Amino acid sequence: MRHAVLIAAKDLRERARDKSVFLFGLLLPLGLVLVLNLVLGDLSGSSPFRYVVVDDDHGPVAVAFVEHVLPAAEESGAVEVRTAATTDEARRLVADGEVSAAFLLPADLSTDVLSGTAAAIEVVGDVNAPLGTEVARSIAASFTDGLHSTRVAVAAAVRAGSALDPAELARLAAAEPDPRPVVDDPTERRELDTTTYYAAGMVVFFLFFTVQFGITSLLDERHDGTLARLLAAPLRPSSILVGKLLTSVAVGWVSTALLVVGTTLLVGARWGNPLGVALLVAVCVPAATGTVAVVSVLARTAAQASGWQAVVAVTLGSLGGTFFPVAQVGGALAAAAGFSPHQWFLRGLADLSAGEVSAVLPSVAALGGFAVLTIGAALLMTKKAVAL
Amino acid sequence: MKALAIAGVNLRRMFRDRVGLFFLFVLPFLLVLVLGAAFGGGVTPKLGVVGGDAHLLDALRADRALQVETSADDAALRTAVERGEVSAGLVVTPTEVRLLTRPDQGGQQMRLAVDDVLARESARLAAARFTSTQTGVDQSAALAVVDSVVDAVPPVSVEVTTSGRSAFPGSAGRFDTSASTQLLLFVFLTALTGSAALVETRRLGVSRRMLATPTTSTAIVLGEGLGRVAVALVQGVVIVAGTSLLFGVRWGDPIAAGVLLLVFALVAGGAGMVLGAVFRTEQQVGAAALMLGIGFAALGGSMVPLELFGDTVRTIALVTPHAWANNAFAELARHGGLVDVLPEIGVLAGYAVVLFAFGAWRLHRSLSR
Repeated sequence: MRHAVLIAAKDLRERARDKSVFLFGLLLPLGLVLVLNLVLGDLSGSSPFRYVVVDDDHGPVAVAFVEHVLPAAEESGAVEVRTAATTDEARRLVADGEVSAAFLLPADLSTDVLSGTAAAIEVVGDVNAPLGTEVARSIAASFTDGLHSTRVAVAAAVRAGSALDPAELARLAAAEPDPRPVVDDPTERRELDTTTYYAAGMVVFFLFFTVQFGITSLLDERHDGTLARLLAAPLRPSSILVGKLLTSVAVGWVSTALLVVGTTLLVGARWGNPLGVALLVAVCVPAATGTVAVVSVLARTAAQASGWQAVVAVTLGSLGGTFFPVAQVGGALAAAAGFSPHQWFLRGLADLSAGEVSAVLPSVAALGGFAVLTIGAALLMTKKAVAL
Repeated sequence: MKALAIAGVNLRRMFRDRVGLFFLFVLPFLLVLVLGAAFGGGVTPKLGVVGGDAHLLDALRADRALQVETSADDAALRTAVERGEVSAGLVVTPTEVRLLTRPDQGGQQMRLAVDDVLARESARLAAARFTSTQTGVDQSAALAVVDSVVDAVPPVSVEVTTSGRSAFPGSAGRFDTSASTQLLLFVFLTALTGSAALVETRRLGVSRRMLATPTTSTAIVLGEGLGRVAVALVQGVVIVAGTSLLFGVRWGDPIAAGVLLLVFALVAGGAGMVLGAVFRTEQQVGAAALMLGIGFAALGGSMVPLELFGDTVRTIALVTPHAWANNAFAELARHGGLVDVLPEIGVLAGYAVVLFAFGAWRLHRSLSR
């Protein structure tokens, strides 16, 4: 073990003078986080849907809608409603994309509703805001459903043979309590905001490149002939491999720690409880090192190793959602994502964002499993790894 | 003629590099698949449902703004909502409906979106119970009566119309948008990373030896430039053909799409030539290529559609060739033709000329270094 540490210490001094470590370990991920934050930071979360309402009716039905239904919807913070004087103005606002949809209450709305003839509220939606339009429709429809249901209840009771006067039935039906009320059950939010998501994604993506700097030097030593000298020294072959693995892990830990701090300061990423983040980073780095080690043991030359490593890192990274969230994908791809350490790292952070430190434990366990399996596999192949 | 031979060598080098082939041809398809699965067909939020009668489920499924996913149990649904795997959850019992939403705007918007269906279903049950208590018929008979009169009653309804021009055409397939955006991302990115070959040519002294032969430096510069373009073009054609065969992506008017692909390949090849001429080591080129390739793609709407950008960023985005090309492909998806995308093609051709001129000038100077 002492030999392994000595080798690692020598390698680390060497890496500290290596400009490309700083380039791939720090500058590139930070630069991309900055770019992505600049471009995508705007999109973080959804903003309230903006609507406009035009009341040409001024009757009791319109008043109920404008003064009760819409303010209730606004109270949730999900929508904002303003009023417009004319239908034309409202349509123009929709066409300009100023609002997602317009509610148009026609002149004889109250008269029609109260007299029992067909009546309608018009919703004009922006064709490019399908969800906003749908929510507007839903708000209006849950209001009209209430009006309509009284009519249906009266008609059904009359059809089924009720002897009561329809007006009396309508009064009774309107007072009928909701048989299956909707109860709100708020959940926690275990998702990272956009800025943190892309920061964490880039950090874990580049981690799989940064850790190459330790283990791949084994191939350089072989190429330069220094591996032969190491093997001639009185030390076990496994010490050489362990030394290289330690170098990778140390480089990975340091660069990730710096990136966590850097992204927090530069773009305001919110990584969450430091202890939880530390636990995740602590196991994710060995998992990355092990994965990279297996690839580089199987490769013959440094160029081949870095090529294959890039393939593995990019494949696992895109499956694991480092470039874009894949939460709602589902199906076979979601199952495939389970094989990506990137996905477990991001999931751990997402769980941490809402829960206690213990919320990261499942992800820590999964990443630990990756680390044990891959490093174990690399160590089993020690002979091949340090062969001349 | 010699220029063509040099370009041919560049193409052959590309096909010999098996790792390079992965990035050229396998990864783009993988990402089109993942992106198409994640965001294809616009973003339709998912609603997880536990329990519920067939009538309610049918009503929810009929709502085209939602995607209904039945879930086995309460706890799994809660976790799925928290992780954002579904946008909201419904737990239906005979006496109540529990709506699981997250405490953010998206959750509230989902709540408003399902409100209407729930209100309608609730009204149906209320009407049936009212009929039952008023007349003494049993509950299921009352439901049948309600269902039989509901269409005869003069409705109080909501009429929805939409205005404006659709940014995402209704006929677009699941993978259409992701295919064209990823095409641009990868053609540009690999043209940049591929310029490492140009640096290698200079570093190993191949270019100096070529200059020692009776070959003009113009022929070498032209050949290297054409090589970059050829790589971009081959990749682009493979992605276009492959995605239309595998995923049924419609690329729109074939001539316009072809011209667009050609000018974008010229832009990408030109940019690759600039990088290959400016940098001294393959590592520098690799880093700069990733940075510019991913950065420009993100800014140009190849990671998140331009339509979702704010106005300011959307204007800034026009600095990138990606934005122009993405707009052009969107126009083709809306059944535009060559004439409709001429402005974009013109701008891209401008980019190509400027990049090629600059790249050629720098390469001339650096060939003998």
